[in-house]
Amino acid sequence: MNAVATSTRPQIEPLKRELQLEFLTQGQLDQLQQATLEILENVGVRFPSEKALAVFAEHGVEVNWETQVVKLRPDQVKQALASVPRYFTLGARDPSFDLQLQKGLTFFTTDGCGVETVDLGTGQKRPSRKEDVGMMARIADTLSAVAFYWPMVSAQDYGVSAPLHEMDASWNNTIKHVQSETIMGEIPARYAVEMGIVLAGSREELRRRPPFSLVVCTIAPLVQDKEGIEGALVLAKAGVPVGFLAMPTLGTTAPATLAGALAVGDAEIISACMLMQLAAPGAPVFHSMMQAWADPRTGGYVSYPLDSCGRYAPVEMAHHWNIPSLGGAYGTDSKITGTWQAAAEPAMDAFMVGLAGAEIATGIGLARTYTLLYPEQIILDEDLYHRGRYLMRQMEISPETLAIDVIRAVGPGGHFLAQKHTRQHMRESLKRGVTHQLNDLNEYIDPREYARQRVKWILENHHPEPLELAQQQELTRLLAAAEREMEENKEL
Amino acid sequence: MTSPTSPLQPIVPAYHVEILNAGQRADLKAATLRILDEVGVHCPSDEAREIYAEHGCRVNQKTQIVQIPPEVVAEAMSHAPRFYTMGARLPEFDLKLDGTALYCATDGCGIETIDPVTRQRRKSTKEDVGLGARLADCLPEIGFYWPIVSAQDHPKSAPLHELEASYNNTVKHIQSETVMGRQTARYAVEMANVIAGDEASRRARPPLSLLVCCIAPLAQDREGMESALAFAEAGLPVGFMSMANAGSTGPATLGGTVVAGDAEIVSAMVLIQLAHPQAPTFYSLMPGIMQPRSGGFQTSAWEGTLLYAVGVDLAHNWGVPALAGVFGTDALTPGWESAADAASSLLLLAMAGAETGSGLGLLESCRLFYPEAMILDADIYQRVRYEAAGLDTSPQALALEVIADIGPRGNFLKHAHTRIHLRQRAFSSLTGQLASTGGFRDPVEVARQKAEWILANHHPEELDSARRAELSKIISAADKELD
Repeated sequence: MNAVATSTRPQIEPLKRELQLEFLTQGQLDQLQQATLEILENVGVRFPSEKALAVFAEHGVEVNWETQVVKLRPDQVKQALASVPRYFTLGARDPSFDLQLQKGLTFFTTDGCGVETVDLGTGQKRPSRKEDVGMMARIADTLSAVAFYWPMVSAQDYGVSAPLHEMDASWNNTIKHVQSETIMGEIPARYAVEMGIVLAGSREELRRRPPFSLVVCTIAPLVQDKEGIEGALVLAKAGVPVGFLAMPTLGTTAPATLAGALAVGDAEIISACMLMQLAAPGAPVFHSMMQAWADPRTGGYVSYPLDSCGRYAPVEMAHHWNIPSLGGAYGTDSKITGTWQAAAEPAMDAFMVGLAGAEIATGIGLARTYTLLYPEQIILDEDLYHRGRYLMRQMEISPETLAIDVIRAVGPGGHFLAQKHTRQHMRESLKRGVTHQLNDLNEYIDPREYARQRVKWILENHHPEPLELAQQQELTRLLAAAEREMEENKEL
Repeated sequence: MTSPTSPLQPIVPAYHVEILNAGQRADLKAATLRILDEVGVHCPSDEAREIYAEHGCRVNQKTQIVQIPPEVVAEAMSHAPRFYTMGARLPEFDLKLDGTALYCATDGCGIETIDPVTRQRRKSTKEDVGLGARLADCLPEIGFYWPIVSAQDHPKSAPLHELEASYNNTVKHIQSETVMGRQTARYAVEMANVIAGDEASRRARPPLSLLVCCIAPLAQDREGMESALAFAEAGLPVGFMSMANAGSTGPATLGGTVVAGDAEIVSAMVLIQLAHPQAPTFYSLMPGIMQPRSGGFQTSAWEGTLLYAVGVDLAHNWGVPALAGVFGTDALTPGWESAADAASSLLLLAMAGAETGSGLGLLESCRLFYPEAMILDADIYQRVRYEAAGLDTSPQALALEVIADIGPRGNFLKHAHTRIHLRQRAFSSLTGQLASTGGFRDPVEVARQKAEWILANHHPEELDSARRAELSKIISAADKELD
């Protein structure tokens, strides 16, 4: 029997798109789509995977086996993408936290795959570990902004099988959907499917309510990753949602103009989505792009120049293809959390991807351009999320909220403090963020300090329902088997 | 030696978002009209009550309550101009409020300054108003200037000294939020005359405007209303701001706070139009939400910023330009909180179509002037400006031939297209600045140095000596009379 009582958690509060806005015109979307089709047909994309090339060849695609470049005709692209489901479900351990993707809602995740952690105890930076993945899953489990979980850092203490250990740590610490961005290659993907079946209960349930999904990065310009694509094929055939994330960098791996970079990234994503549909028609896929910039002086990767505009563009491009979108948000370039820069850069992001209508979006909680975990940053980023969420809502206008009778009772020059209406509504009218938390002296607490306190409180008090013992044991057994097979494969 | 002032860079949004739907607008307007008609507003100015009474409003001289029938509101507001120009000392800095662009001002009326030399906190002075004006003059993000702090070393006629310090240190439009009372207003109008040159220019390109705060709930300030009337008579734009606080001076529901504030603003604009039809007016709704434990006014609560956008929509529904609340922060020092507060709402307000907004540069709920805060806010302003500007999808931007040249696995570094266009990308001058010791410099420190550089090196085109002397003369006369 578990000695620690399990905790409940607040319901997910997705972004609700109550304001209507289309950023790109239909003409611009057509132009961008046409550009992608021209690139796919005339330039092509390199797939360094015999398996992927074989799938394309079987479906009449022009394959150059020597250069491994496929050239995709517009009619082939459109025909293949016709089978993409527009919406699907991301399952969770607890069905009440399943995410039914739909118009008008944006579900957010944490950021993921960081490589260092600022240790909560020592305050020192160190390589990230599996226990960090679990710790942050437990925190994410209790935040209403986090609808699903990306393992936030890499389980570097587990070598080649790190991606599967990240899944294990995640499922043991949150009941929410888990999305991996590190499962690469056929063998890990096969084991991940097996682990998913342990969670779901059966292969059929895995397909119906997949408790995990995968996002695979493409390689700019116009290349796919062999291991990434082959792992994705395994998951797509099992009905596990897979998404493709392009990260073109303006000036180095993409043209220095944003529209050109978006076209390059889109071509990479669309070619991968097409492969999934050819191999597994109807497989749930999603589209994601996070463009970056090369600093002209250093060549360094910059996520947030002044004109980083375009959090919305990939979302609307995805929808123009009739594919759900994983919107790109957050990931400050600030090396330290809680700084001016760490808020100035991502503060508009949740609002922008929500307003553009992304079905899912990533991701809160990492600094130093997605690489460094400060445990308290998730609380600060969540605050920015809720600011965006409220900005997107419509004001409630009703006789009760207009309160004309109350205004009449108070009259000019009076005050509302003594009104019953005030007592009834005051608590709901102030949504207190991290900036307005009071200490015992009624002074505001420094937001970063409050965030630290909140993290410590959660870790001491929040204990999600554990997996059933049999499930835990089965996951452990699968991990051991995976490690053996992957080590053997590595030696070969 | 004088320094050129960079051309303004307003936010020109490529997108427009409707904050309220038609039904909501109708409901809110009906509620405001009911409040004005059935509850009324407290108006302690004899002059204003007389104007209301002459035009069909019900005036209770004893309680000083004025009730305004809906038809009077409709008739009066039908004269308010939707578009007009706010002039500047130099015509190229005039602000054409035509609904296509958002111009932002500094914040104003702070009471303390972080001294740029000693870095110590102290009471604000006239000199600080001039320093702030010089910073604002140098920044293309600042469209017009609110005297950023109070000239507390000139207590009797501080508002006029603030105007003098402003005109002597920036070529941009000045908007006062402190000129109160008929006497002071008369001198301010005289100063505007000096800047404009003659009455026709003053009316066509008013170099001065005024913002007057209402008193929540449903009350007007006597001095404020009388100075507004004097400004309107002179053709200088006047705006009214409600800062109702949900839970104390407004109902605890946001809808109620909005309509109570709306009624205050509209009652004042109606007065101006009754007295001086077609006088340029503007609308500003900046409510707060009461902190339940302390009773304080909170400007940056999660839900609070949406109310500012609602205010922009309501302004347009009444047919006048909006002054939106942007950049206000409760933060005590520049940092995460000030950035989060500034960046969260500006984009929505731009997309809602606000014509003007205030303001950059103050912390501690608009009380404390940090010179570097203006620079930091300007950086956020640029992020929003670019974000709102739309995406270029021209053939040159799509660069299909370049992509074909490079092909899969290549890199774009050597391509001529990259050399041309990477330079055109806008990188922050605060973040990503290399440190001599490696890594990047702290953006707040970079901003502080930039502010120091501007104060040491930027000297805008001066007022000619005749006008400087004339302003001094007016100030001396005002000091005597107001004393």
